[in-house]
Amino acid sequence: MSRLAKLTMAMISLGVIITVTWLILSNISPSFNSLALVFNAKVGDQALVFDKFNYTNPEGSEKFKIRDFRFFISNITLHSGDDKYIETNSYHLARFDNEQTSYSIILQDVELNEIDKITFSIGVDSDANSSLEPLGDLDPNSKMAWNWEVGYKFVLLEGGIQINKQVRPLVYHIGFDENRRDLEFSFPTGYALSDGMKIQYTVDAMKLFASTSSVNIADIQSVKFDKTDARLFADNYQKMISANWK
Amino acid sequence: MTKRFWILICSSAILVGGLVLYVFTRESVRVSATPITNFSAPFVFGRFNIPKENPLTEEAFALGRRLFYDPILSGNNDVACATCHQQHLAFTDGLARPTGLSGKELEFSSMSLANLLWGARRFFWNGRAVSLEELALIPIQHPEEMNQNLDELLRELKKSEKYRYMFAQTFGDISSDAVAKALATFMRLLISSDSKYDQFLRGEVNLSPLEEHGRKLFMAHPDVKASLRGANCIDCHSQFLTSGFRDAFDGFSNNGLDSEEHLSKGLEAVTKDPKHRGLFKVPTLRNIALTAPYMHDGRFRTLEEVMDHYINGIKISTTLSPLILEADNSPSDNDPSVGLKLNDSEKKAIIAFLHTLTDEKFVSNQKLSNPFEGGS
Repeated sequence: MSRLAKLTMAMISLGVIITVTWLILSNISPSFNSLALVFNAKVGDQALVFDKFNYTNPEGSEKFKIRDFRFFISNITLHSGDDKYIETNSYHLARFDNEQTSYSIILQDVELNEIDKITFSIGVDSDANSSLEPLGDLDPNSKMAWNWEVGYKFVLLEGGIQINKQVRPLVYHIGFDENRRDLEFSFPTGYALSDGMKIQYTVDAMKLFASTSSVNIADIQSVKFDKTDARLFADNYQKMISANWK
Repeated sequence: MTKRFWILICSSAILVGGLVLYVFTRESVRVSATPITNFSAPFVFGRFNIPKENPLTEEAFALGRRLFYDPILSGNNDVACATCHQQHLAFTDGLARPTGLSGKELEFSSMSLANLLWGARRFFWNGRAVSLEELALIPIQHPEEMNQNLDELLRELKKSEKYRYMFAQTFGDISSDAVAKALATFMRLLISSDSKYDQFLRGEVNLSPLEEHGRKLFMAHPDVKASLRGANCIDCHSQFLTSGFRDAFDGFSNNGLDSEEHLSKGLEAVTKDPKHRGLFKVPTLRNIALTAPYMHDGRFRTLEEVMDHYINGIKISTTLSPLILEADNSPSDNDPSVGLKLNDSEKKAIIAFLHTLTDEKFVSNQKLSNPFEGGS
């Protein structure tokens, strides 16, 4: 071979070596994990099926249906001792109008090898609630916005209840700063993370009506701006999410 | 061996070089179009997306504008987009439903074209298009609307020196894809953001007491328990855009126009989901005072008739929005009718607020007008 051909071969070999090294290095170096939080909706011990009178008033015998169910999950933080992963612009609108009636949040580049606690809120913090900034899923032109003087709905459930063969509308729009609920899920022995892992949560929509207090849906068919009712429901939805660590 | 080796190296180099040159020159035709940089919209309108494959350019806008006003787009060269979407009526036609080519009325009223970058990502009253590019070619080919064969259209466009130049400069060649992209660009830039309401939001003007009362009612869902009166417009029409909501099917609603047995398909015709029967796209209320008649079939002639519908004319059906069924300002009376039960002065106030959504600059903006009439 001529000198030029040898030189070309050398260059190609060098290129191959660099590529292979880069591929190996990029695979073994930093162990940033991605972690999914998966929220699976149900209603009591039943599946969430929209627009079907499948559910019973916990304080009565009337059947009710759910047309829409969604809520804000915000300010997700993963804890590992004193180390933290704090998601930025952490405002997620959980909605379940899909075949799996489930909602997933993917946290990227988690620099923790294990976690012992996850914290997040139902609702949004007062800064975000009084802002028009479209952070995360916050959108002042969305169904979750009341108007700029009132802020966001934190939890929304709409549907209907059959009373004396008539369908009465159900409208629960719960918001206001004081009704944000901060949740904490602990795993005292530490939970080892690996890339692509999923942590499953169950969201029980029935807990809106039956947990801290039991509500007669026929009596309270809507909640919007009445502060006492809104608080009653907030104390109830505080318990609607449970973690299934595996 | 060495000779063959060199032939291989040389021919590979020529091949690669040619490919690079090809890609480069192809790109350079595109790059010659001028990106639109001075384009802005009110912060409160929120996020929007311009598709990567159809960036906003001055050339695409100019071409889209020309196509929009050119009857060459129709089979008989008599109907332009602008026939049913007239600027002075906020790009509607003032008709309940336009008459189709065969002489019978079309199924739907012509929708206003304004602020299409925001709100529901489905277009037409029943949501049958998922992008403005897709939307653009549908009326052109509809046998009752413009009844044009796309190949025929391209042949006609290629005969025009002006169009050959404009398409070459903007997209490289004349194709139905390019027609769709140009029209979509023009529609994206139909931005109405200088109404009295916008000026109020920017802190430049005050609303009159009547308009302000109407605004408050517009923005409130009534709550008798909390002594709050409201017209719950905002339950479907977002507070700043006044259009339907963006995500999923949030921007579609059954607003109680018909009882169960008379319910037309609406969104169900597209999704085949019976839950969507009678749901129609929630339109923007921008320039609503100019876009009568109202509703998907133009059944209401005036805003007074629209308000009367919401005040006591709601018809019950399975898919009726529970927000409409539940929104009642005087639920304890013996009135069997369903609706907001607002009084006459409240009705007047809401209509006064709706008039603050009229944007005179938008409906007279020379840049959006008919280029064949010497507009600049």
